[in-house]
Amino acid sequence: MRHRQTVAVVVAAVSLSMASHCASSGGPATQISFGSDVARQGLWREAAFRFERAIAAEPKNARAHNNLAVALEATGDFARALDEYKKALELAPSDNYIRRNYARFAEFYTSYTRTTGKAAGGP
Amino acid sequence: MALNRLETFIEPGALRSPAPPARLRGGIAGLTAIALLSAAACSSVSQVRLKLPLKPRLPLRGNEKIVLAPFLIVTEADKARDKRLQNVDLQGEFHRFLKRQIEKKTKLEVVEAPADLKLPTQSLAELGRATEFWRALGASTGGEILVSGSLEFRVEDRSGYKTEEYVSPINGQTYYRQVYVEQSGFLFDIVFLVFDGRSGERLLQDEFKDFRQTGASSRADELQGLFENLFSLENQILNLFVAREREADRYLFTS
Repeated sequence: MRHRQTVAVVVAAVSLSMASHCASSGGPATQISFGSDVARQGLWREAAFRFERAIAAEPKNARAHNNLAVALEATGDFARALDEYKKALELAPSDNYIRRNYARFAEFYTSYTRTTGKAAGGP
Repeated sequence: MALNRLETFIEPGALRSPAPPARLRGGIAGLTAIALLSAAACSSVSQVRLKLPLKPRLPLRGNEKIVLAPFLIVTEADKARDKRLQNVDLQGEFHRFLKRQIEKKTKLEVVEAPADLKLPTQSLAELGRATEFWRALGASTGGEILVSGSLEFRVEDRSGYKTEEYVSPINGQTYYRQVYVEQSGFLFDIVFLVFDGRSGERLLQDEFKDFRQTGASSRADELQGLFENLFSLENQILNLFVAREREADRYLFTS
């Protein structure tokens, strides 16, 4: 009987925790999910807008910063993409996906700025 | 030391709480699985392919008159040794390739250089400094952009012993062993020199290299090798004159 109560309490606690997590991250999570959907259809400006909304709701969301960086890269705004990749990496320094994205972008951006002689895509 | 002593006075298992019954263990395991699954779902990632713009290396209007002058051929010495290279008219093939690519993929107007045009030197460094020569060529042809440089094409044998890691299936230990790796192929190295037809000044110098492996035993055709090299460098070569695109993969979090 006592164990059954314990199971019930644990289940309730986990459910509550998951529900509150979903509620609290519902905004940014929905924006990221929608943004990534439209990004895969090539609608990068809409995607960037969604990722910006996710960041506005949760400024320390590394995934949103990473996605915004990718969207900015896709639209040619490389200077801002660099900033966003850096923020994402600061927030999640051990995330392999973000690290790989940043490394690949850095390689491209270095040759791009070497080619044009300026931080193109910037203001 | 203190810990060791403590352990001797505590009955083994006395600090452990009693094991939960099987049903509770099952419930906890289930919840853990759900939590792990939801965490995995939360961090799902997809790969997207971007097309990144590459700006032209030269600041051109796009419709300039361009003269393709001869290139210095670096492999003449090798040609005598390797009979396979004797069949390749490197100057002619490269000129034809470059002309066709420029005419097809840019709006530049290709102006033929005089057939008897001879370069003033066989040194690449001196060629880059031959301002008078280039200015005269620009004036005589009306070319605004003059292209020259050097070409190197050779069969390269990179075979040799290489050290590789080897994990023994018997004792699981890692050893290092020497293995002979056969690797031969065609190496193509182009140095581009681009000059201003009016001033004769050098606008750009850039080098592109490509190595195409022919495989361990196959004896690939040298012309085929040359064009494989050229096609792989096509994007970079054209990017000297016009904007190009480059594909790149990135990771996107989906939730």
